[in-house]
Amino acid sequence: MLWTLLLVAVALVVSPALVVATGRRTGWLLAVVFLAAAALFTPTALAVWSGNIPTWSMPWIPELGVDLSLRADGLGVVFTYMALLIGAVVLTYSASYLPPSNRRRSMSFYPIMVAFTVAMIGLVLTDNLLVLFVAWELTSLASFLLIGRSGAGAEAPSMRTLLLTFTGGLFLLAAVGAMWARTGTTVLSEVLTHGVWDTDPLFTGAMALLVALAAMTKSAQFPFHVWLPDAMAAATPVSAYLHAAAVVKAGIFLLMRFSPAFADVPIWNALLICIGLFTSLFGGYLAIGQDDLKRLMAYSTVSQLGLIVAAVGVGTAFALGAAVVHTITHALFKSGLFMVVGVIDRATGTRDVRRLPHLARAMPAMFVVTVLGAASMAGVPPMLGFISKEGLLGAMRQAPGPIFNGWIAFAVMTISAVVTFTYTAKIVTGGYIDGDSDREVMPVSLGLRISSALPIVLGLPLALAAGLLDIPVNAATTAANTPGSPEPHVHLALWHGITPELIATAVVIGIGIVILARRTALHPHIERRRAAGDGTTAINRLYTLAGAMGRLVNRMANSDSPTRHLAFIALGLTAVIGLGAAHSHDKLPPLQDGVSQPLDALFLVLMTGAVIVVCTSNSRLGATVALSTIGIVGTTQIFSLGAPDVGLTQLLVESLTVIVIMLVLQKLPLTFGKPGKNRRPSALAIALLTGTAAGVATHLFNGRRFPSGTSRYYLGSGAQEAGGENVTNLILVEFRALDTFGELAVLGMTAVSVIAIISTVRHRHLDPPPKKDRSYVPAPKIPLQGPGTLAYRAVTQAWGNAVHMQMLVNLSTPMIGLLSLWLFWRGHNAPGGGFVAALVGSCIVAMVYLATSRDRQIGPPKLPLRLITAGIVIALVIGGVGFIKGSFLAPLHFYIGEVHLTTSLIFDVGIYLAVLGLMLVTFNLLGTSASTALQRGEQTRERADEAVEGELPGPMDTSRGERPIRYGRGTRILSTGREYRP
Amino acid sequence: MIISITVGVLVAGGIYLMLQRSMVRTAFGVSLLSHAANLAILTSGVPAWREDPILNVTTPDQAADPLPQAFVLTAIVITMASTILMLALSVIGHNDDLLRAPESGESHRP
Repeated sequence: MLWTLLLVAVALVVSPALVVATGRRTGWLLAVVFLAAAALFTPTALAVWSGNIPTWSMPWIPELGVDLSLRADGLGVVFTYMALLIGAVVLTYSASYLPPSNRRRSMSFYPIMVAFTVAMIGLVLTDNLLVLFVAWELTSLASFLLIGRSGAGAEAPSMRTLLLTFTGGLFLLAAVGAMWARTGTTVLSEVLTHGVWDTDPLFTGAMALLVALAAMTKSAQFPFHVWLPDAMAAATPVSAYLHAAAVVKAGIFLLMRFSPAFADVPIWNALLICIGLFTSLFGGYLAIGQDDLKRLMAYSTVSQLGLIVAAVGVGTAFALGAAVVHTITHALFKSGLFMVVGVIDRATGTRDVRRLPHLARAMPAMFVVTVLGAASMAGVPPMLGFISKEGLLGAMRQAPGPIFNGWIAFAVMTISAVVTFTYTAKIVTGGYIDGDSDREVMPVSLGLRISSALPIVLGLPLALAAGLLDIPVNAATTAANTPGSPEPHVHLALWHGITPELIATAVVIGIGIVILARRTALHPHIERRRAAGDGTTAINRLYTLAGAMGRLVNRMANSDSPTRHLAFIALGLTAVIGLGAAHSHDKLPPLQDGVSQPLDALFLVLMTGAVIVVCTSNSRLGATVALSTIGIVGTTQIFSLGAPDVGLTQLLVESLTVIVIMLVLQKLPLTFGKPGKNRRPSALAIALLTGTAAGVATHLFNGRRFPSGTSRYYLGSGAQEAGGENVTNLILVEFRALDTFGELAVLGMTAVSVIAIISTVRHRHLDPPPKKDRSYVPAPKIPLQGPGTLAYRAVTQAWGNAVHMQMLVNLSTPMIGLLSLWLFWRGHNAPGGGFVAALVGSCIVAMVYLATSRDRQIGPPKLPLRLITAGIVIALVIGGVGFIKGSFLAPLHFYIGEVHLTTSLIFDVGIYLAVLGLMLVTFNLLGTSASTALQRGEQTRERADEAVEGELPGPMDTSRGERPIRYGRGTRILSTGREYRP
Repeated sequence: MIISITVGVLVAGGIYLMLQRSMVRTAFGVSLLSHAANLAILTSGVPAWREDPILNVTTPDQAADPLPQAFVLTAIVITMASTILMLALSVIGHNDDLLRAPESGESHRP
């Protein structure tokens, strides 16, 4: 069993190479492989037939108890043989059918075809729900690919196929999920025999419905039948395989597989019998109306599958046996007939019955084969189809419920058999006899003709010795039957005595022959009506509707107004908090003593004032001052909460952020614009609501518990393990170092993003802004005194202002540097660590930058990116070293003399470098005074270019995203006109 | 709990600022919101225990919960990064108070 699957899987892997080597003749090789795989399967099949159930299993996701397990039973054997043997015939046929010189057509065909088979075998042999689902979806996917490869015309049909079969996949996914959740196992054989099916009728009914719907989409039952005629856009071998042995049979297989659990569920019986019979009538009716032989064949598949589905719906051992037999029979005659249509198509260049010549004379052998296949489909004795049709008719009489139910089903199926006879006759008469066109008939290669005849001709001896099928059919029926019921005794033979079924068959043939004789009068009536109510139109209409809905939803978010985007989030949060508070406000434990301190009230008052100023101030500078107030008050509040590390970080971040804001503000107008009239009240309302919700949530959900176990661990044994005193820092670099590593990456990415954003700035002279730009605001006019005055000089020649600052920097830089090192070193045991130290280091950068009298870069241009890279690489490498101790970033401890060192110290170095790199980028790029126009020198564009390329004599003539070429050799420097050489 | 009022005030201010057109105001709003979030996370460690979680200074019984502190410390640095990014975005045009949406090159309706 395993070897079969592996052999076909290996064939899948090597098939592309085979196609490259042998072109379309790969079909021969693959057919041999398939036959070998079928031969390898024989021991398993024999074991199954003698009553054993071979299994094989390998853990797949042990955490969830999901195994890759195989389990061969009677059903699996029948369907595996079908997939392999029909597959082999179809591949042989393909070897002659595919265009000989076009290797790409073969390349897109064979590998997918083999993948199709692998998925199919996996589906029928697996004993795991999840694998079943995956294989199910793979067959959908493979059929989509096979249909879609047939050129532009097949695009829409393949999409429709995908849409419908994946919808079915969703039904199955829902069923699989629910069954797993309810039964607690993914082992299929255990799920099917679980007690829940007897105890919970509601759940059982729901699952039966889901599985039935999934199978109906795959087996093209009404109203999902639309995709199957669509699928005939694919090449003939694909259709033959798809209709006879693969996708549509997967649906039948699923029904049979789940029949043990659902066979006595009323909704299962009713749905399958009704839909099945209706589909067989409806599909047959549509088939009669077709002129295209291949399309006719597609609708005939719909009709035939309807019969099988109805039989599975009956659910008795006899009915299941009949369904199995008809599945086999159908696979044989349908694959053959499809390939025959392919031969006709090759010989005449058309499949339209109105344009076909009198082919019976031109191709007598094919005519005989077609008649045999058609006779089997029509259920004429002594064909295999007769036996299976008898069985199906008999099965109908066993339909559950009152006795007349069975007879109604029997009668409907008899009518359906008449319809079947009629469209089958049309294949023969339309294809071979009625034509009067004088179209030329081309010779068709022997390979095509033989392989198309093979399945039909092989069916003949089987009919005469139908008893041969007894054992496999009985085994399959046992597998599909309710567990614990008596052994089925299906006995296949041509003669069972005079039975109602035999009489029905005689009646069917009688009526059929009458219709056949009067076909020229009857067919036009049906053909005229077929245009109405095309399923394709329905799907297209649904598709358009979905598109319209999508645009409607899109319109709600399709706006540049922040309110449209943020209001939903803010109000949604409010609603969630509101519901949570309403639900739980009276069940909460009391607040702990001492959560509020007098100092908190002071902070609240200060904070409220500052927030009001920052919100209402129209001056950018004023708002910035208020913002920094908030920062400082917030920092103090954090210190008062006993978080010295956090407070230190916050303080430094606030200082640096304010400097960055000031750098940015120099390029912007002095005031904010006036907000729109409608904006202010609605914004205020949303803000107050959300603020209230946030406050209520904090009050209700925080401060009501005792220290958590995690906190106790960190403060107790955790700190001892890590060998430090400053627990917050220990968490950052030892326990939760992965968080910190992610943060490090965010800092690096921010720096890269800032460079990318800033490099989109236009060059002021070379790419001047349009005169009529509504967003253009002229630089602020600062009322300066005239040239020569002290005030003028103070602004235009800033070196005088900077002298004191420079003196201070000279003095303080080494001290701050030492401070930074000291904070870095002591992080493990006292407030400090990589972040704090790096932020202090960044303050040096800020001070040096502020102390220069004119804008210039701090450090070499490429330094920031190098620092960031180094930081991330160091963190990664030291993280990798952690694997020595078992996991990424696990710290290693060692001693040099008396000094305790850990690798987390090196990790801290990485943090330090990344933070410093980000701050350098920020000062260097945001600090350039492109729009102040008071100084000459490097401007924003050039600075951004240099951050990537290194020192340049001027900005470059490309900007990222404008042209496909990258910076580097061949681009010119704008100011010099010379080519840039890195 | 008094701090919960502080959180509410900060959130209200932050949301109000974020609903304005100006990019700089939006950046300020994000800054306020993150202050609020930081305080909310810190108080999840229960502010009844407020001693520094540094073991040679404090006994573990009195120490504040160090885990939220580690979270907030990370959050502060990320806030800094996102503020810088938003500030950079606010200076790539002539003015951050854009009343007109920039051309994106694609039409909104078919």
